[in-house]
Amino acid sequence: MVESAAPILEVVSITNRFAKFTAVNDVSFAVREGEFFTLVGPSGSGKTTLLRMLVGMEKPTTGELRLRGKVINDLPPNLRPTCMVFQSLALFPHMTVGKNVEFPLSIRGQSSGECRTRAWELLKLLHLDPHRYYDKNVSQCSGGERQRVALARALAYDPEILFFDEPLSAIDARLRKVLQKELKDLQRSTGKTFCYVTHSLEEAMVMSDRVAILRAGVIEQIGTPDEIYGAPRNAFVAEFMGEVNLLPITGLGGTAATWDTGRKVIPLTLPAPLAAGTARKLLIRPESLRFLRAGESAGNSVPVRILNEFSLGSRIQYHVEVASDCTLTVQRLREERTAATEAVLGWELADSQILET
Amino acid sequence: MSATPSVPAPKPPREFSPAFFGTVCSLPFFLLMLFGFVAPLLCVVWFGFMPAKTFALLQMPTFANYETIFNQTYFKSILWSIGLATVTVLTLLVICYPLAFGMAKIFRGGASFITYAIATSLFVSENIRLFGWVIGFMKNGVVGGTLAKVFDVQIDSLLYNIPVIILGMVYVYLPFMLFPLVLGLKMVPDQVREAAFDLGASRWQVFKKIDLPLSMPGVLIGSLLVFVLSVGAISEAKILGGQKVVTIASDIESEFTYAQNWPLGSALSTLFIALTTVVVFFALGRFDLEKLLGKKRSE
Repeated sequence: MVESAAPILEVVSITNRFAKFTAVNDVSFAVREGEFFTLVGPSGSGKTTLLRMLVGMEKPTTGELRLRGKVINDLPPNLRPTCMVFQSLALFPHMTVGKNVEFPLSIRGQSSGECRTRAWELLKLLHLDPHRYYDKNVSQCSGGERQRVALARALAYDPEILFFDEPLSAIDARLRKVLQKELKDLQRSTGKTFCYVTHSLEEAMVMSDRVAILRAGVIEQIGTPDEIYGAPRNAFVAEFMGEVNLLPITGLGGTAATWDTGRKVIPLTLPAPLAAGTARKLLIRPESLRFLRAGESAGNSVPVRILNEFSLGSRIQYHVEVASDCTLTVQRLREERTAATEAVLGWELADSQILET
Repeated sequence: MSATPSVPAPKPPREFSPAFFGTVCSLPFFLLMLFGFVAPLLCVVWFGFMPAKTFALLQMPTFANYETIFNQTYFKSILWSIGLATVTVLTLLVICYPLAFGMAKIFRGGASFITYAIATSLFVSENIRLFGWVIGFMKNGVVGGTLAKVFDVQIDSLLYNIPVIILGMVYVYLPFMLFPLVLGLKMVPDQVREAAFDLGASRWQVFKKIDLPLSMPGVLIGSLLVFVLSVGAISEAKILGGQKVVTIASDIESEFTYAQNWPLGSALSTLFIALTTVVVFFALGRFDLEKLLGKKRSE
């Protein structure tokens, strides 16, 4: 359903250049009607600049922004049918919760009765009891409540696209998880297009229909969370996804390669042929690695020393040493726990991927 | 049964509680305020109840001085003082708010240049600056002389009228209005303004609904500062205004000096201080600073 939807916002080779520094370099993508789209990148990747251009607070140096086919480059934010939830939330400190939510409505000249009715609806939608919160001062609200007020205020504007600039980054981990789910539910129930910016790929994967990964002002990969998880385009994307093993390898022709650990060169077999002398990274997920029992064989195997064991609840994570200063992360189910200190680590060829660096 | 020799408990080391330490540290300031502010103030209040034209503090108190004040035309000087101060505050608000807005939100390097330029003018004594204006505005002074020489236009002295007094007061008290306003406007978070703009407000609506209410603490502090300073002003009216206008401050001064009537001067001072205090507290009560800043927690 989402796949077939028409693009609501098209970004066509947009560039933003400060004096010498190019924050966003020739970026193009399209946000589809009704989807939850997330821009994710480490700090300094240009994601905030890109977002500020999308909402109209910054002008692109070159390139075009099209909203439903219409170029909106020069439209100021107050005339755009889009709206943003700020990282700082930017609630109006001198107004009550109710007046904050009513702000975009009263600006449009709606009567105070209409404003009030809509504000009550929105507060209820966001699980804030209007009887308690309508007349409350925003400074008396907790972090999570403030998030909801900011969201209600943005929804009151009734935007075609709702943008988010990492609004959850200052919230503690448990509440963040709750709010992520609520945000996703809200997006589904309202059917609005959400465009979210974050530095956490994990957060992006949880909520989004599609994710764009940004590095140094350039988009590295766009796709559904499954696509990105299943086939990261390069080592940067794979590494950004969290704890993965990336082995520096050099092809020897055919599927033979060497892994240079710094101290030791280990021969490996690759899942696909690689030209001799080419340097690549081999991606192996921690859960694809396993300790081989005596006599058992796998596509590749290396002797390792087990350094540390961490409990992750139902799973156990091991840090194992292949050679000095070269460790791998292994994740096994609790039932497969091992007490040994020396072991042979193995993985199947199909569980590894060759990535460009 | 052997008696254990009783060991005297070791003396606990002497500890200074933070409260004690704070009291000791604030003692010099406390003494200074006591002998430099409270005591003289009480003296003045008490002196106001002494018989006119006497110099002793130990006499039978009387209300004679206050009767004199109410029977004569001192209220005129008080009205002049309050009027001049009010006009000065309003003029400065009109002049300084746009400038402060620019300094806080628009100019970058320019803002610190303006700050230094205005702060530097404070290094020169107020009286010297006012006499500078006199040289500029007197008959055949800098302004008149230049006009006569270059354009052959003869003008009379521009001094000794009410507008020039206000000009002088506006000029002298400008920094006291400008800097609180700049600070007040700097406290308006940029993202809050951007959010209002993003939610459909026009520039003017952002100003009216966000900038103005959120900068009220600066407006209030600047206005009070200028009002309190200019209501007690004396040099502007004397130097630039000649004897055109007599302010309450110059009335008080002449009672203490020329007339040698200290009790009457004291009574005038007391009345004036009371009046100013009422105005200040009224203003502070009217505009609740905490509420304006959105920091009030009523629960």
